[in-house]
Amino acid sequence: MLREFELDLPGDLQETLTRLPGGTPLAGGTNLLVDLRARREEAKRLVWLGNIEAFRDIKIDKAHVAIGGGTTVGDILRNSAMIDAAPSLVGAARVFGGQMVRNQATVAGNVCSGSPAADTVPPLLSLDAEICLASSTGVRSVPIDSFYSGFKKNQRKQDELITGLSWSVPGPSTANLFYKLARRKGDAITVVGVAVTVTRDGDRCSDARIALGAVAPTVFRAKDAEAMLTDQPLTEELIDEAARAAMAQSNPIDDIRASADYRRHTVHMLTRRLIGQAWRSLAGKEADK
Amino acid sequence: MTSVAGTPTITFTVNGNIESHVGDPFQRLATILRDEFGLIGTKIGCDAGDCGACTVLLDGRQVCACMIPLGQIDGTEIVTVEGLGSSDNLAALQRSFLHHGAAQCGICTPGMLIAATELLAKDAMPSKAMVEDALGGVLCRCTGYIKIVDAVVDAHQFLAPPVADSPTSETVGTPHPRVDGNAKVTGQDLFGADGAPSDALWLRPVRSPHARAVFKLGNLDAFCTAHPGLEAVLTAADVPGENSFGVYPDLKDQPVFADGAVRYRGEVVLALVGKRTAVEAIQFDALPIKWRVEDPVTGVTAATATEAPAVHISHPDNILVEGGLRKGNIDAGFTAAAAISEGQIQTAFVEHAYIEPEAGFAKRVGNRIEITACTQAPYMDLDECARVLGVGKDAVRIIPSACGGGFGGKLDVSLQPLLAIAAWRLQKPVRCIYTRVESMASSTKRHPATIQARAAADQEGKLLAIEMTADFNTGAYASWGPTVADRVPVHGSGPYFVPNVQIQTRSIYTNEPPAGAFRGFGVPQAAILQEQLYDDLALELGIDPFEFRYRNAIRAGLPTATGQKLEASVGLVKCLDALQPHWNKSRAEAARQNENHGGSRRRGVGIGCMWYGCGNTSMSNPSEIRISVSNSGRVTLFNGAVDIGQGSYTVILQICAEALGLPPSEFDLVHGDTDRTPDAGKTSASRQTFVTGKAAYLAGRDLRSQILRLANAGEDANIARHGSTLRVRDTGHETTIDLTDLPAIDEHGTVLTGKGRFDPPTTPLDENGQGNPYATFGFAAQIADLEVDMELGTVHLHRIIAAHDVGRAINPSLVEGQIHGGIAQGIGLALMEEYIPGRTENLHDYLIPTFGDIPEIDVLLIEDEEPLGPYGAKGIGEPALIPTPPAIFGAIRHATGVKVTRVPLLPHRLLEALKSHDA
Repeated sequence: MLREFELDLPGDLQETLTRLPGGTPLAGGTNLLVDLRARREEAKRLVWLGNIEAFRDIKIDKAHVAIGGGTTVGDILRNSAMIDAAPSLVGAARVFGGQMVRNQATVAGNVCSGSPAADTVPPLLSLDAEICLASSTGVRSVPIDSFYSGFKKNQRKQDELITGLSWSVPGPSTANLFYKLARRKGDAITVVGVAVTVTRDGDRCSDARIALGAVAPTVFRAKDAEAMLTDQPLTEELIDEAARAAMAQSNPIDDIRASADYRRHTVHMLTRRLIGQAWRSLAGKEADK
Repeated sequence: MTSVAGTPTITFTVNGNIESHVGDPFQRLATILRDEFGLIGTKIGCDAGDCGACTVLLDGRQVCACMIPLGQIDGTEIVTVEGLGSSDNLAALQRSFLHHGAAQCGICTPGMLIAATELLAKDAMPSKAMVEDALGGVLCRCTGYIKIVDAVVDAHQFLAPPVADSPTSETVGTPHPRVDGNAKVTGQDLFGADGAPSDALWLRPVRSPHARAVFKLGNLDAFCTAHPGLEAVLTAADVPGENSFGVYPDLKDQPVFADGAVRYRGEVVLALVGKRTAVEAIQFDALPIKWRVEDPVTGVTAATATEAPAVHISHPDNILVEGGLRKGNIDAGFTAAAAISEGQIQTAFVEHAYIEPEAGFAKRVGNRIEITACTQAPYMDLDECARVLGVGKDAVRIIPSACGGGFGGKLDVSLQPLLAIAAWRLQKPVRCIYTRVESMASSTKRHPATIQARAAADQEGKLLAIEMTADFNTGAYASWGPTVADRVPVHGSGPYFVPNVQIQTRSIYTNEPPAGAFRGFGVPQAAILQEQLYDDLALELGIDPFEFRYRNAIRAGLPTATGQKLEASVGLVKCLDALQPHWNKSRAEAARQNENHGGSRRRGVGIGCMWYGCGNTSMSNPSEIRISVSNSGRVTLFNGAVDIGQGSYTVILQICAEALGLPPSEFDLVHGDTDRTPDAGKTSASRQTFVTGKAAYLAGRDLRSQILRLANAGEDANIARHGSTLRVRDTGHETTIDLTDLPAIDEHGTVLTGKGRFDPPTTPLDENGQGNPYATFGFAAQIADLEVDMELGTVHLHRIIAAHDVGRAINPSLVEGQIHGGIAQGIGLALMEEYIPGRTENLHDYLIPTFGDIPEIDVLLIEDEEPLGPYGAKGIGEPALIPTPPAIFGAIRHATGVKVTRVPLLPHRLLEALKSHDA
């Protein structure tokens, strides 16, 4: 039984922003409603975001992607341009809950929930996405890399709303991959999530981003590992070394889904696999040039 | 709609009708659809977005109706299962579901249909992968998903209008569609939560959050008065009869309401009865209960330690019961051995995870009580409720609702005594629906087993001996603990001839959830270790594991571990014969693959064999079936064998129709109701097809012979019904029996009655466990073909090939469905499922297999007819699951060399084992 809530149903963005102070934004509700029912979350007044016009718009041009704050995980899958604009995010969307959850859950909500196991977050970190936050007093943009400050803590102020996310389309010399390790195939909480972006310039890796999920209080970038790869030719040895560095930066917990040791080990294995896979896929493209 | 905080009017369409609703915008769509619009086809399985049973279309897209606040649907279009097609005008997809046998219990079917509808609107001919993805969020515990995928892929073939079914005379041996299938694919079957009177009060059990505690209740009258809408707070003091229940006549150790002490987390302390909103609004912390929490006894090692506190004072050593078997001379067997293997395993609690949480309602009718609830055992429910109420058995009527999955978990009473007490005391109808969390916390589980064993074979690979000791954690109450302790010794040596056997079992009390019946009563756990040991022996002796099993397989005439000589229907060798080419091919492929690829994946192929006694162990367990013919020509089958999804309503009808010689469509069906149907025993122990099926056969034959006598016709005569006459055609001449001429024997105009009763012949087991515990056994062997990711410890199943000796497949489609579903549960048991009290009480922390986890399954039906069974048939329910875990573990071992010691073999456990194996 739900407690007595007030459900606010503002008609547009401006009205939504004026209602946010003291309220909790409600988008797909696939986390929030469950947590409220289980009394893990408290909320007095929920502000529904579903009436905001064009809130689910997706804009993709040659270089840039922008999705509205109401974009659902299902919307990501239904947009055929997204497979090139955010391969890792599409990969995450495919293994995100069941289709009935994907149809409700929003990307911004997943980002905002701050769970270290949130599946869209490693891809967005690997894409170096920007988060657009709005309140009735103004608009600001925060790189997702600096958005999280601790377990389920982030930079969003109570009266702010994520109105959109944006990132650059990976170029032809960039590979962007995601892998979710979970205890069953589909519709399961992530044990380890890894997203990588590798850009190749000739025989060298010019840029690498490695984002790790469910192995620390927040999803994070394994920057030690990234630094080891940057401006280097990627040998199997170097990839393994970097993957070990990613493992060293992980700080997972033991829980019912897996042991901490297992998570650390699989960070090593999956990072190695994904970087290797990305690098090899680009090697093919280099040869085609 | 503008912003509102009160009670706005919300307008939307449901299945094309414009509806308005005024109310709390936070109410869930699922609740409104069911309670306000009567659209009970939308089922609620978890209320948390984990199971997908409540899936509906919102503007063409599938969503969980339990996750949609009403305020969000203003101006939208909702489609529920009722909008897909009606029972006389089924949609193509629904007809495909019926044709494929894609619905078993039917509780997930509406969600599956809706999820598929979204997909089919986009692509009428989807691939299997697309179906698996689109339906992947809807859980099914019965089918193993395969027939569901087939049904969606094939739906386009049913787009043409259906041709009227021509009545078929073929019955036994054909895939007759489920007789309750139409109701299941339209969502109109009435489950425990579906049919309650609208004025029923709501009962909410309040459960202990502590595994072991003593408690005192404060002033409940004052509490009740202070909470308007609350009509009663029921406690142990309100039980009119005995405050205890249990499945054994001499072991009623579980209270309906805890009386001052609780023994597990989830035990009922009291029940709040009143208006739903009132009882649901009450906070646990507000209740006047004073707790003194004690240290719980957890696990069998702690429970059997000398200083362990007793869970029940009646059993100071916490040992509920011991079982055992002794055959031959165990020491002689090991002395003569050329190879000896030893091992031990630990298994976990496993949750049944039926998608329908326990639900039902009760009403008092004069001085009788009528209870409608999901159950596997209506007559046991009747006995228990009569004791609890302190009334005669004739004062209780049990009407089983449709049962949304059971698997053993709905054999014990759950909410029936609570409902009975409340409706009896308050003299008003009372209903109750367990929440998912409450269902998981309170219901019985598969017994965790701690097993040690060793086995011996001679140089030729002939088994000489097996010795096993197994402790089963039976939790806080006995439930089926004694059955497990008795079943495992009988089966523990496996389906092989073993001359020397010694097996000792114990069921041990702990402060954990009661472990009860779950598909196999301990046999699946024991089979894991026993099959592993036989693999060990084969390896040590340099014999192929398949060949080893072939040499040792029990054959007709050889004595079993209990000294029983099975003379017929011993089909293991036939199963192995059918599997041999698959084994050779898969093993050869695996060897090639492992040689050629250095990568992180290794392929393995394993085999598991099993046997399973149909019916209760060395106990009378009769079933009765009745058929009546009325003077108006109504032929009615009274069938009390509760269909929990496996298809007994269909199979019993098929058998009965064949025996009588009328087509199944001629029958009216009366199911389950203890006032109307004779006792067909429990739906458990793989007994309904064999035992009740035989009773149905006998009933059909009884009625047939009466009709033939009336017509003075011979055995081979043909019977047909035309209105109120029966026409009996014998070689060349036809006799017409005018039923209106016959004297009616009751107020329903019954003129003829056929009766059948069957009690499978068994003998008691002596002090060494020797005797004939079962009249017949099912046999099976399964091959698992898989890959292990050596870097991640993950297991990727490719294929299961399942050969099952079912005696005779009365309905091959239903038999396949049982095998698919059993394999799916076996996969869960082996690789995924571990119930941890307080930690995994929901369907996102407790994972059961979903579409992507089920490999290709090939079913090979072996029909080694059982002379006692109806048309040669025997049971399949439990045999379907038992060989799967051993086959999987055998394959993992083949791939990696690792032997399982802890079940489930989660990836982190497999990885640890791989590391220590390499070290």
